[in-house]
Amino acid sequence: MISKREIIRAVLEGQKPPYVPWSCGFTKEARAKLQQYFAPIGLEEALQNHLLKLGNDIGFFTDLGNNRLQDVFGVVWDRRIDKDIGNVESYILSEPTLEHYTFPDPLDQRFFADIPERIAKYGDRFRLFQIGFSLYERAWTLRGMQNLLMDFYDHPLFVQGLLNTIADYNIAQVKEALKYDIDAVYFGDDWGQQHGLQMGPKLWRKFIYPALERMYRAVHESSRYVFIHSCGDVDELFDDLIAIGLNCFNPFQPEVMDVPALFKKYRSRLIFHGGLSTQNTLPYGTVEEVCAETHQLLEMGREGGYIFSPAHDVAGDVSLQNMLAFIELLQSQPGYLNLN
Amino acid sequence: MRIIEDLRQSVIDGEMNITQELMQKALSEKLPPEQILNDGLISAMAEVGRRYEGGEFFIPEMLISARAMKSGLALLRPHLTAASVQAVGKVVIGTVQGDLHDIGKNLVGMMLEGAGFEVFDLGADVSPDKYVAAVKEHRPDLVACSALLTTTMPRMNDIILSLTDAGLRERVKVIIGGAPVTDKYAADIGADGYAPDAASAALCAKELILKKG
Repeated sequence: MISKREIIRAVLEGQKPPYVPWSCGFTKEARAKLQQYFAPIGLEEALQNHLLKLGNDIGFFTDLGNNRLQDVFGVVWDRRIDKDIGNVESYILSEPTLEHYTFPDPLDQRFFADIPERIAKYGDRFRLFQIGFSLYERAWTLRGMQNLLMDFYDHPLFVQGLLNTIADYNIAQVKEALKYDIDAVYFGDDWGQQHGLQMGPKLWRKFIYPALERMYRAVHESSRYVFIHSCGDVDELFDDLIAIGLNCFNPFQPEVMDVPALFKKYRSRLIFHGGLSTQNTLPYGTVEEVCAETHQLLEMGREGGYIFSPAHDVAGDVSLQNMLAFIELLQSQPGYLNLN
Repeated sequence: MRIIEDLRQSVIDGEMNITQELMQKALSEKLPPEQILNDGLISAMAEVGRRYEGGEFFIPEMLISARAMKSGLALLRPHLTAASVQAVGKVVIGTVQGDLHDIGKNLVGMMLEGAGFEVFDLGADVSPDKYVAAVKEHRPDLVACSALLTTTMPRMNDIILSLTDAGLRERVKVIIGGAPVTDKYAADIGADGYAPDAASAALCAKELILKKG
């Protein structure tokens, strides 16, 4: 039987898979609903995701008490309201300089410690090493979003230096991670708004693109694939991203981009992961509407080029029935055999 | 007026220091404060809004223009007060309860201020009760609510219900916005206006003020 890993590889190589593979994420609140439903079966077993996410997307935290957590960069996050990621409490780089700041150790063993164990447990899945907040987002968590956006004009050399240092940190971590039997690196970095880019294409090309080019090159030098996640309306960047070696794009949000048209336009050049509406259909649609949209996406990806997922980690306002609706459709695809 | 035209251009270009210099010059030459406000600052921010809508400007350009506008307005404000120049209207703005995303709300606040409104920013994670208290205290013409998440968007409806319960709903217009928000949702909950971005929020607010008379 063909493994999940081989199916994803086939999709990445432009071949037709036996069925449309998937990898779906859920917030803590949504996970709790599903866990209760599937118990005693664990959620990993119940969902049968095809991507195994290794490393740590948002890093490691020291618990400071009262739902305040400090990440390895020294940034303190308040998780009283957003319980999954949190909000930055105060910005470490209060001035546009790196003079008084030391970056953390990219080779901190906590990022790699559980890789062998998880590969042993879920060895049939396609392995991704994740780096979340991988460039622009890391920069604004340190400097503040409004400050950073103005720094593009006020202090361009500082921004270039900061982004380059973050890219160096990522590259060191990528090189270490790729000593393991990993298939791809997954960089998360939100650049989009609901309409257009936060910083616009001109500043993106000047500041973000050169750092990405180095990061993607480090992955391809080890003959691995590059996956990214970038929320919002960013499809104007696809050609640039493909040119520097992007293989798979997530989240493919239907509210901000024309999913079928882009899928057709970039067929054989870019693989898409995502697509199911998390701003409309999942929280507000009926079970029938969730099934209809899932069915359309599965039809779209039947010949390849596509990995199914909701376009964001499913939030706690989505009903259990709507979550089960797409999970059941995925697992009832002809060609898929759940042996677990 | 060359000074006012240059002042306007400096705001569009986001050149805060030049804006301040030109504002000082305009004031020392005793140009009418209302004209400096309308033809200099407000006209500049309207152009910034147009360029944002047209895809020529993005958030960084809007931020540096707003910063220049604010720095000029700070110098101009005492003169506006002395000349009894009134704001276009008052707005109470905030990100709804349970939501800490504030950059969208901040941009809307800046564009409203740039359109001549007096803006009272309640910050993020603002409960319906806080909105009600702020409406009682500031007596605004408009209440503006922002939400980024589908999980927090329903709080907008709670705010409208709380304003109704407090007998304040007829006094204010309510405008809403944020990534998951649509004009249909605005209509469903009985909001008076919806805008997809900061530039159109300022236009929407002005239209509502005109209708309010």
